[in-house]
Amino acid sequence: MRDVAVLGVGLHPFGKFEDKSVTQLCREATEAALGDAGLAWTDVQAISAASSRFSGGKGWGLNGNDVVDDMGRTGIPVFNLSAGCAAGGNAFNIGWTLVASGLHDCVLVVGGEKMPKGFIQTSGVDEETDLEYLRQLCVGMPGPAFWAALCRRRMEDFGTTDEDLARIAVKAHQLSAHNPNARFRNEFTLEEVLASPMVSDPLHLYEICPVSDGAAAAVLCSAEMARKHTTKPVWVASSAVATAGFDDGCPNGLGTVVPPADRTLHSEASVAVSRALESAGVAPGELDLVELQDNTVFYELAFPEDWGLCQPGEAERLVEKGETLPTGRLPINPSGGFLSFGEATTAMGVFQVCELAWQLRGEAGARQVPGARLGLGQTLGLGGNGTAVVLKT
Amino acid sequence: MSSNEQIPVVEGLFAETAAGPRLLGSRCRSCNTPYFPRSPACHHPVCTRSEVDDTAFGPRGKLWSWAVQNYPPPPPARFDEPYVPYTVGVVDLEDGLRVVGRMSVDDAKSLRAGVEVELAIEPLCHDEQGREVMSWAFRPL
Ligand SMILES: [Zn+2]
Repeated sequence: MRDVAVLGVGLHPFGKFEDKSVTQLCREATEAALGDAGLAWTDVQAISAASSRFSGGKGWGLNGNDVVDDMGRTGIPVFNLSAGCAAGGNAFNIGWTLVASGLHDCVLVVGGEKMPKGFIQTSGVDEETDLEYLRQLCVGMPGPAFWAALCRRRMEDFGTTDEDLARIAVKAHQLSAHNPNARFRNEFTLEEVLASPMVSDPLHLYEICPVSDGAAAAVLCSAEMARKHTTKPVWVASSAVATAGFDDGCPNGLGTVVPPADRTLHSEASVAVSRALESAGVAPGELDLVELQDNTVFYELAFPEDWGLCQPGEAERLVEKGETLPTGRLPINPSGGFLSFGEATTAMGVFQVCELAWQLRGEAGARQVPGARLGLGQTLGLGGNGTAVVLKT
Repeated sequence: MSSNEQIPVVEGLFAETAAGPRLLGSRCRSCNTPYFPRSPACHHPVCTRSEVDDTAFGPRGKLWSWAVQNYPPPPPARFDEPYVPYTVGVVDLEDGLRVVGRMSVDDAKSLRAGVEVELAIEPLCHDEQGREVMSWAFRPL
């Protein structure tokens, strides 16, 4: 495999954009990424796009084709990847593979979304053969209640308090206040987070990510091409994809097998991360920063432990001591994370790549992780999809 | 408007048997893996034979975790108006199944991980004809 550089990145700010199509959001992100790379649209040799479930894509998730139609048809190959909220990470993995394999020298990875109102619905299938449909019909356990149950179990296991949870939301917005691309940029006090409406006990409104419109793009290229355009490239140290194991015990659908005692929930995430770290030759402790999928504050406690970044039961204290801030020993989500951006599902894996690239170049301003050289991004999505990427200077 | 008539929210998922309420699933004849709802095949990755038998699961288990549904859930979830928050649980049955279901409790604050629970068939809501729409639930013992 060849070395692959992230030559340019671009983000459309996140928010609600009634007057823009998802294709327009993707165009602005693509133009920003091409401009950042110093390349023209006609330099792009292939597209790896995340398939949107909610908008554009000709109703078939063909969002990469929409981008080509919009930017101008050059006859390049287009790959549309579906993986729920992990689609952006999946698209990145395929884009990286296309360049690393030597098949193409310059590939555009793009994801964008215009989200419907309300919290993310799980399945889109209204049939009694669909387990997520049955789960909502017979039990009534939408996404936030699922997250709340995982979170409650942690509270039982480790004595996590309401304040421990709220502190993570406070930290997220302390950082998003410095991120012009974030949707929610107001800082909150601990009391304000705890006073926000209870969505699903123990999770409050400000402790759960809402949905947003947004788009993200990255231009990947060969080392030879990168050196013609920059003296300080950001490199892809590794990219990995996984799906959930049979017996990880994550309570999806109506039922699953009771897992072995030592199994981590969301094995799609932990396996993708361990594969990425292994193939990058990186020990968990060497990472300078992590952008992880914080659909809820719970994941910012559980994931670092699942992945060996800290000890089980230690995460609450790290947050309390400020160790997850950019200046701490385990900086997590310096972008402000999903909590501050809201989730534009299929854009998120590429959104994380944008933030990692800015951090590794030292361009993240007031949220900069000092001296960042090695960063991890991670997504997970419907169907048990997980992705991880390690970028380095 | 109201009647004592009861209908299941979905046919074929649970039953009131002579021994009490049970969930209707399958178990693999070869590797013993349990499934709920019924599964036409075994999905264990290293199971080479895929012969499953109809199996009734329950009634006893331990509460793994729970959550309160504080806001009215979106469709297809069903509830009576005015909306009253309810508790959902994740229960590890003695049969080796981890199952989700409503918790039959007035106050979730009384719950703890690991408490013994028992399967019950309880009303979820009422339909347009006033019939009780039934689903499975778990009662702390
Ligand atoms: Zn089997």
